[in-house]
Amino acid sequence: MKEVIKAVGHVFIKMPQGLLVTLKHLFKKPVTLDYPRKKKPMMPRYRGRHYLERYDDGSERCVCCGLCAAACPADAIYMEPEEGEHGERRAKVYEINLLRCIFCGFCEEACPEEAIFLGQEYEFAADKRNSFLWTKEDMLVPHPRKDNPFKKIIRRVRKVYGVTEQ
Amino acid sequence: MADDIKDKVKTDVPTVTFTMDGQEVTVAKGTTILEAARSIGIHIPTFCWHPKLKPVGSCRMCYVEIEKWPKLAVSCVTEATDGMIVHTESDKVKRGRRATLEFLLLNHPLDCPTCDQGGECELQNLTFEHGIDDSRFDFQKNRFTSDTDNTVFDDKRIGPEIILNRNRCILCYRCVRANKEAFGEYDLGVYERGNIAEINAAPGQQVNSPFSGNLPEICPVGALTSVDWRYKMRVWLAGKTPSICPYSSSGSNILIYTDDNKNLIRRVTSRCNDDIDDGWLSDITRYGYQIANSEERLQTPLIKKEGKQVEATWDEALEVICNRFKEITEKKGKVCIGGLISPSLDNASLYCSSKLFRTVFNNNNIDFRTDYRMLPNKPDSYFGMLCNRSFRITDIDDSDVIVVLGSDLIREHHNEYLRIRKAVNFNNARVFSLNPYSVKSADVAQAEIVYNIGTDEIILVAIGLAAIEMGLVEQGLAQGFKEKVKLGSLAEATEVCGVSSDDVKLVARALAGDGKVSVIVGELITRSHGREAVASALFNLSRLLGIDKKGQMAVLARYANSRGAEKLGLLPIPTGAQVEMLKAMWGKFPDAEPQTTDAMLALMHKEEISGGLVLGGNPIMLYPDRQFITEGLEKLDFLVACDLFESETTELADVVLPMSSWAEYEGSYVNLEGCNQVACQAIKHIGQSKPAFEIIRLIAEKIGTSLFESDEQMATEIEQLLSCEPDNATPDNFVDVLPLSEEVDPDFPIPLCICDDPHHTGALTQKAPSLTNFTGEAYIEMSPDLAARLEVSEGQPVRVESPVGKIVMPVKVSKHIDNDVVIIPRNFSQIRVTSLLMRKKRVDRVRITKVDE
Ligand code: SF4
Ligand code: SF4
Ligand code: SF4
Ligand code: FES
Repeated sequence: MKEVIKAVGHVFIKMPQGLLVTLKHLFKKPVTLDYPRKKKPMMPRYRGRHYLERYDDGSERCVCCGLCAAACPADAIYMEPEEGEHGERRAKVYEINLLRCIFCGFCEEACPEEAIFLGQEYEFAADKRNSFLWTKEDMLVPHPRKDNPFKKIIRRVRKVYGVTEQ
Repeated sequence: MADDIKDKVKTDVPTVTFTMDGQEVTVAKGTTILEAARSIGIHIPTFCWHPKLKPVGSCRMCYVEIEKWPKLAVSCVTEATDGMIVHTESDKVKRGRRATLEFLLLNHPLDCPTCDQGGECELQNLTFEHGIDDSRFDFQKNRFTSDTDNTVFDDKRIGPEIILNRNRCILCYRCVRANKEAFGEYDLGVYERGNIAEINAAPGQQVNSPFSGNLPEICPVGALTSVDWRYKMRVWLAGKTPSICPYSSSGSNILIYTDDNKNLIRRVTSRCNDDIDDGWLSDITRYGYQIANSEERLQTPLIKKEGKQVEATWDEALEVICNRFKEITEKKGKVCIGGLISPSLDNASLYCSSKLFRTVFNNNNIDFRTDYRMLPNKPDSYFGMLCNRSFRITDIDDSDVIVVLGSDLIREHHNEYLRIRKAVNFNNARVFSLNPYSVKSADVAQAEIVYNIGTDEIILVAIGLAAIEMGLVEQGLAQGFKEKVKLGSLAEATEVCGVSSDDVKLVARALAGDGKVSVIVGELITRSHGREAVASALFNLSRLLGIDKKGQMAVLARYANSRGAEKLGLLPIPTGAQVEMLKAMWGKFPDAEPQTTDAMLALMHKEEISGGLVLGGNPIMLYPDRQFITEGLEKLDFLVACDLFESETTELADVVLPMSSWAEYEGSYVNLEGCNQVACQAIKHIGQSKPAFEIIRLIAEKIGTSLFESDEQMATEIEQLLSCEPDNATPDNFVDVLPLSEEVDPDFPIPLCICDDPHHTGALTQKAPSLTNFTGEAYIEMSPDLAARLEVSEGQPVRVESPVGKIVMPVKVSKHIDNDVVIIPRNFSQIRVTSLLMRKKRVDRVRITKVDE
């Protein structure tokens, strides 16, 4: 008999108590975001997709030195160098396998030419494995780097060897 | 006995004892501190010091501290003396080295990201080691610009395969010194002085010697880099495989750098074996690998159907081979199949071919000497004896007298060429060069004797006669020598050879002296059919002057594995000992008539041999009578050719099989001194190609016999054959010298020599782009005098006619040639040089006329 009274008490007292909490939250500001309609602003040092940088005159910064690949802990970068028309060294193939990449940013840190950096974007879901293999063309695109206080470029013109930098 | 002498020498040398980093060191007097340190395993950093060059002390990196010396000492040029106390790691030393590095980096552009040396740069490593991360220098750096202005890169091509970037140079002079000391080339130098001193090619010259590829390798920084390796890959990503050069007969030790993702060879560097290559590679060795990567490689077997070669599978091809060979042997007997085997293949391939012919086809129709003319079909000639003598490359180093007979070393034996230079530089050796035309390698010679072509044996006789005339030999010996010689006096002999008797006397006196002697007989003799006469004359001379007791005399094997082929019995007539051994191993040995290349070709003409197997080597291009060999091979009912590329020979074949290059399988090669070396597999097989030995074994299996029960059996059999040492036999007495002279047809007055170009060898290297950058097409090389008489200048075409052929090719004028001999390289297919030759001639002669455009 005692149990029956207890159960009835739960239904009529404890349950409304719990529902009250739910009710309260209905009128509070939600903590989640209405993704993908709304997006969270990223911290300036967030590491998202890779970009390859160009000089102001439009030429590629990357000289295909292989240091990013050497620094990469996930072995995600593959490249093949070639000789450009002025005898410069540049990348014929430059690929990052984003399935392997752990977005550590070591490549950016290793790069002596300030050519590669990790941007803010993180949306690159795809339905084919091959579309995660990002090529030079995918990365040599315009980007909003200039606004980012943490990704300042120190040297803006191609290095003329022998002339000390200002 | 020999060891006693060595010990005595050792104990005779005065020594010094000093202390280095607390260790007591005793070294021979005259040893530098640096060498002493290396010998006890103390590492002192260096830039300009190189183990194979004389020290100059120009970089100051090798500082050590010596107690009681006011300043730091440069260890690479400071001799150790008794009682010195040396510190190599004190603070003062470290500060000194740091300062040196800072100075070196003053003008260094720090363009490591674009520099091909990055990752193997000595400057990079030492900078890292010493922790220099900033520069105190904030003025403008020196900049040497390139010739073209539209670039910020200051690279400059100074040779077909060399790129110079003077900004990176640290002026260690290694390149200039190596070029001068080791290679005898003067095309690179230091210009200006002080701050603007620079390395550069000599004005108006290109750095294009056959050894130029060594310069980037010894440059400690990226100032000299090679076009071949330019921007190919980072060195730390490359796979490295130790291997052996497939072109040089001394078997240079190489390291193959591979791109394993793409299954390509990327470059070849030296693996420095002091006993063989001394750390230098010829460009042929260095760039010749490119044939393995070539796009033109044969990928699949081809079978001729209705006059056209069509692609087929291995099974089909083997089926056809087996059926046709069976058909032919049933119809005509087993002696009607012949084999021409390339001596550049590895031991297993050579041995398998020999076993296939001798046990399956049961005949002796097999030969590897496809570029020799008129090989006799009889055994035990003096030439054979001469081939079977031991030779050590390192013995050249300490020879006092070196005689080179009939060899343009820079075209055939690059390593020995450099050894001879070394012997002259470090040991004051006296070199005598005896050749039918003046050769480049003679610049270190004490006397160069240019004799009339075709009188090779008479010049040897003349040397003997000169020794006798000068009274340098015993009467008894002199009598014996003279009896066998048709020529009475020295004057008569020198008259025939067209040389001055003073020069001959010089050679005679040197050979008769007590010094250690090396006599090298080269290809101009071995390929011609004067070889037998020369061998007998040489044996007589050796008996007269005691040459074989004072040193070595040898015919140098020509191809990567010629020596191996001889040792494995791939000749139609193996030596008695080999036959015994083979009989014991196989339980039988064919008693069919042995046939050399020439004899086989003659039998093909008579249609007595109607099946042929050509394993590599492209004999049509190399055999010294193109018409004869082409007709012979055309008359065959069935020809199988295995090669890397389509060639003149594969064109005629009924079945063409793609063969793997040397880098695609593990194989061993015997070099000219009989040393067996292994080349490891560097890349995977290209296309469906297979190694030659596998091809042979598959053919045998298809026919119905397996050559070996297991791979181990093959290995042990080969090992057993290779263990035979050369017998060094000499004839028991003076032998008859039978000079061969020929009538000169007045219509064709000018003698012709067919040689290799210094940047090419055999028929394959024309597929290596780097080598064709040096020389890409055939030329006819002649003296300035002859060119003037023909009224032609460099590059102009001339018509070259012989009684059997006619070709047109451009002229190359060579200053060092001073008689009327013309030279044509045989390495280029587009000009059919061998169609000018007649196999029965000792000396080919041609008529040259100007082509009017
Ligand atoms: S972010 Fe890290 S893991 Fe990704 S490519 Fe760069 S180095 Fe490699
Ligand atoms: S991105 Fe930078 S580190 Fe990577 S290869 Fe290019 S220049 Fe070198
Ligand atoms: S080019 Fe290289 S080897 Fe020659 S002096 Fe300069 S740094 Fe030395
Ligand atoms: S190594 Fe001694 S001065 Fe260069």
